[in-house]
Amino acid sequence: MLATWLQALVSGLAIGGVYALIALSFSITFTTTKTLNFSQGEFIGVGAFLGVAVLYLLSGQDEGAALAPGASAGFNYPLAAIAVGAAVGVIGILLFITAVRPFAGKPGMSWVMSTIGFGIILQSIGLAIWGPAPVNLPSPFGDDVIRIAGAGVRPQEILVLVVAIVLMIGLDLLLRRTRMGKAMRAVANNPSVAALMGINVSAVMIGAFALSSALAGIGGLLVAPIASASIFMGLGIALKAFSGAIVGGLDNPRGCIFGGFALGLLEASVALWQAQWREIVIFLLIILVLAIRPQGLFGARTLDKV
Amino acid sequence: MRSPHQPTRRATLAGAATLLSAPFIFRSAHAAEDIKLGFNGDLSASPSAQSGRAAVVGIQAAMADLAREGGVLGRPLTLTIRDDLSQPPKSIQNMSDLIDNEKVVAVFGPTNSGNALAWKHIPNQKHIPVMGCIGSATDITKGTGGDNYMFRVGSVDRIQVVTLMGYAKKNPRSGKIGFLTETTGYGQGGLKDLQEVAQAQGLTPAANEKFNVNDTDMTSQLSKLKSAGVETALVWAQGTPIGQLMRSMDKIGYFPTVLTSWAADNLSFMNAAGPQLAEKPIFLRTVSETRSPRQQALFDRVRPNIDADSAFSFAVHGYDGTMLLARAIQQAGSTDGAKLREALENLNGSYEGFAKTYDHPFSRTQHDALGAADQRWTCWRDGKLAAYSDDIVASLKPEDFKG
Amino acid sequence: MRHVLAACIIAALAAGLVAVTANEFYLRILFSACVYLLCALGMNVLLGYAGQKSLGQAGLFGAGAYSVALLTTSLDMNPWLALVLAVAISAVFGVLIAAPSLRVRGPALAMVTLAFGIVVEKVVTEASDVFGGAMGIYAIKPLTIGGVPLSMAQWVWLGIALCLGIHLLLRNLLTGRFGRAFLSLQADEIAAGAVGVPVLRFKVLAFVIAAATCGLAGALVAQQNQYINSDFITFNLSIFILLVVLFGGSGSLVGPLLGAVTLTLLSAVLARWSWIERFANGALLLFALYAMPKGLAGVLSGVFGKIAGPKAAAEIRPPADVPLPTRPAIVVDGPLLQADDVCKSYGGVRPAHNIGARLMPGDIHALIGPNGAGKSTLINMLSGVVRADAGRIAFLGADLKHATMHAICHRGIARTFQNLRLFRELSVLDNVLLGQHARMSNGFLSSLFGLPRARREEARARQRAGAILDFLGLSHLAEAPAGSLAYGLQRRVELARALATEPRLLLLDEPAAGLNPQETAELGDLLLRVRAQGITILLVEHHMDLVMRISDHVIVLDYGEKISEGTPALVQSDPRVMAAYLGTDVEEMAPASSHAVAGLA
Repeated sequence: MLATWLQALVSGLAIGGVYALIALSFSITFTTTKTLNFSQGEFIGVGAFLGVAVLYLLSGQDEGAALAPGASAGFNYPLAAIAVGAAVGVIGILLFITAVRPFAGKPGMSWVMSTIGFGIILQSIGLAIWGPAPVNLPSPFGDDVIRIAGAGVRPQEILVLVVAIVLMIGLDLLLRRTRMGKAMRAVANNPSVAALMGINVSAVMIGAFALSSALAGIGGLLVAPIASASIFMGLGIALKAFSGAIVGGLDNPRGCIFGGFALGLLEASVALWQAQWREIVIFLLIILVLAIRPQGLFGARTLDKV
Repeated sequence: MRSPHQPTRRATLAGAATLLSAPFIFRSAHAAEDIKLGFNGDLSASPSAQSGRAAVVGIQAAMADLAREGGVLGRPLTLTIRDDLSQPPKSIQNMSDLIDNEKVVAVFGPTNSGNALAWKHIPNQKHIPVMGCIGSATDITKGTGGDNYMFRVGSVDRIQVVTLMGYAKKNPRSGKIGFLTETTGYGQGGLKDLQEVAQAQGLTPAANEKFNVNDTDMTSQLSKLKSAGVETALVWAQGTPIGQLMRSMDKIGYFPTVLTSWAADNLSFMNAAGPQLAEKPIFLRTVSETRSPRQQALFDRVRPNIDADSAFSFAVHGYDGTMLLARAIQQAGSTDGAKLREALENLNGSYEGFAKTYDHPFSRTQHDALGAADQRWTCWRDGKLAAYSDDIVASLKPEDFKG
Repeated sequence: MRHVLAACIIAALAAGLVAVTANEFYLRILFSACVYLLCALGMNVLLGYAGQKSLGQAGLFGAGAYSVALLTTSLDMNPWLALVLAVAISAVFGVLIAAPSLRVRGPALAMVTLAFGIVVEKVVTEASDVFGGAMGIYAIKPLTIGGVPLSMAQWVWLGIALCLGIHLLLRNLLTGRFGRAFLSLQADEIAAGAVGVPVLRFKVLAFVIAAATCGLAGALVAQQNQYINSDFITFNLSIFILLVVLFGGSGSLVGPLLGAVTLTLLSAVLARWSWIERFANGALLLFALYAMPKGLAGVLSGVFGKIAGPKAAAEIRPPADVPLPTRPAIVVDGPLLQADDVCKSYGGVRPAHNIGARLMPGDIHALIGPNGAGKSTLINMLSGVVRADAGRIAFLGADLKHATMHAICHRGIARTFQNLRLFRELSVLDNVLLGQHARMSNGFLSSLFGLPRARREEARARQRAGAILDFLGLSHLAEAPAGSLAYGLQRRVELARALATEPRLLLLDEPAAGLNPQETAELGDLLLRVRAQGITILLVEHHMDLVMRISDHVIVLDYGEKISEGTPALVQSDPRVMAAYLGTDVEEMAPASSHAVAGLA
């Protein structure tokens, strides 16, 4: 029984790490631009496939066969992560320019629809290039189960958790300690005042979208060895990460991280009871939380100035 | 594996090109001449799309062969293809497009069983035979009162379940059986079959758990099976989730005998599970991995156009289905739907196909050409599909297949 | 009437087309167009008018579809009765989705509706014992006439008839009191409440209308096809419904028709190259918003319509000396409004502390004090925008402590806002008509069916709005979008809107802010004329000359406390007032107004 609970804890933390990372990526654009990318799921899928493509290139393998287990070994995987981060970041900039900037700050939240539209386009291009079938992406640390007190865990799951935590601590420091972070928070607070202070608001917003998208891409690369790379893999992850972010409070990066982990653990514990009711329980709970605290658990209550 | 059959491939491509332009250019000119067949199934949207594409390749190969023999009733065959993206509303619209608009005489498909259930009343009302070659849900070919126009040359969940359950019953290890199914139409259709067959064979499952098609961690479900003492797990799901299931078994170190749906033959299963874990489950296919020279020749011919070795069986179903349909048209002497159904249900002579030799494959009540005797035990060995055999398989007799 | 005729002609043409079409495929496409049109008609009310984005419409489609499925199979109900019940059940689901949506806004609202759609999708997938899961429910009873199931052509006729009927009903609703109220929600919920629109009730109503039409569409699909499974209910469907509305032209009456017909035809044409269809939908979603924010309807009206751009005339016409519409006079014994010991604090800030005030009927009261004295907070508490922490506010003897904004408006208190909260996209006339909202008595049904009562009320409201515009000299600007006017005119329109609620007490939050000296003087005359109509006024103002000229009674606040009150002359000579303005915070006072110092000195 203990092993079962421990197993659930481990599973919950691993998937929660991914949720937290993507939830943070939502928070980054929301705090700076008051918008976010509703097609983050497609970015995750594209990130995973780009990772597969880079690994094929680095390991010099023929496209015909599945990637060999050693393809991710050594520096290949970190290099792939950098390449994916950069490439998806560029797609994020494209997203900002075409689908967000024309609508940001205007009433009506048209950016919700335009980012969904961008995602549909990205997905259909991805389908045309890579097809609908899942593709294998080996983990850099092999695939052997590690046993901790009866619970099994794969190296990749530990890697996901570690990388997610490291990235999140790094970003937290970046946001709170550096000039760039201060600029981002200033833009979040009041773009016109930030502009008066000599901050290049447009560049900060572009940077936020690039960073957010890069996180999604890297998230995809991290999850791919666990879930197989697929163009559809990101939808569920992004949705739950979004839920985590909303519940934690979109304008509070640390709240988002908490929300992500909480959702992962919740999911794992509901699965102990009835796995197929997981989504229903989670989303009903989210509706309930928002009905009671519309700003999320840790979000700041916004007051309408009259 | 470069194809020695380049002309065929080119012909296929040319055929496809003609098909795309046909509705605009040749429609009126050829309408009286051609025998138009249709395909309606997923070719691009879901992971099973590769099965749909393989079936089309098989159908087109058969049509090419028929064309060499001068067509059917002296008329050439054409195939009109519609992709339903796995969406039921789209699939329904396509069916109407093919039958009402394109005036095809018969339809192949669909890829996903749920879509067949969504539109099967249309061909039944319009008297247009449908030849299934991919979707394996038992209910597809089940009659609903009145004439039944749904036929199938392909795997049938019920038949697989009956065969697997026979194995489970004889398995000396199987003190208790448990079900693990995916919450899609495919998985839940299979679960229904599993429950009914288990009852018919006097077995009671000790556990019955479900998982989502995108799940990556099924440890909680497996823990329940483990604590219920299940030693034979019957799994109904698509390739990738079965692979994830094997990985989760590895995590908690629990390996019952695993009998799965034939989706485990999909390359996506191998990719997800990895070569070692992929060797655990046993499943049934309609085409054996030890191919006869004749099968090998077809394999070599179509392989360049299909996405994976394992999708070959769909090409075989498509090929055999087309040939049976052609023989029925020949026998009926007409393309009239009702006559075609008559002919299919009373097909004369025997036809040596690639899955088996068909001898009176359909009857009024039996619309599935492949039965329990046509199942081939299969497993993965060294990253390739292989025929499976053990003492239990050898000892199975027809009377073990109840339900 | 021209619109009704045109709609009937289009429907008749479509019905005629059905009669001559033998090809069932074409009929099916027409049927799909009808189904999506039904979804879009309701969605347009929710999205285009009330401005609420719902990403969970598939859930409501599912509610309708599964209702007929279960009612006709498990309960063996008559299919027509089941259809009606299914719409009712979907409407109930509309309330369910609206309830949690009332408090949340922005991305969280999107999340709530999205989550609702997913929950429905998952429930019908997982609870397969009831809903059949992905295997679905067979043998749903189709609609029948005399026991015979409808033919394909009859289905399309039914679809066309339903679309026409619902379109005309919704048009009745949307072109009058209810349509304006929905639009006011989209523009500014606080202003909507202040003019007497019950915001929550109208939000729920918009959700319910969208739910009912989506449910109807779902029920029709299930009955026509006699089968439904969980694969029908997807997020893509929710997105497609939104796309139909946005592409057609959200907030336009013809938008849903244009969107549904164009996109259904596009989908049918692209069926041979289905992967392009998905791409095209994505591209449309992205670029339609960008290139044609008002959708096809906007493009068409740009091409065919007159170049509508009423020149915003800068001057105010001389006001006409007409009486304002007012409530029947009553004799008030004592104060009209009395506030006692009212307190409010935000964390450490305390903008109101034990404030008391008595507003006597027929007087102009002025509320003055340095910046941050708590003047706006008091106005906000009196009008129900914020709740007082403690104390009592009685209007005509009734306690207002727990009254909502719209209820306060109904009782006869109107207000304007310091930072102008006009419905900028709406015309001046519509703004003023929204002020009449609470004074109109036509309910949902009489508006929906365009009953004589609704027409009578609308005519009366227009006539009264006309009188108010005349009174203020704004009649020539009635059709101009309020947001296009010069600042001073916008202030005056807001005053007109407040007067249209026929208040007994008018609260004005810095009505002269941003006005030039001449406009300020004109405003003074105007307020005196308003007082002459029997309306009591409380105004917050920095322009001391204005205050001193027109006020009967002045209340002075400083740091959330009342430091003085009385006649202008009395207050002017109060040393505490001098200290508050000059002694403690000269720098802050300086930019406020030089008039103030002049007036006080």
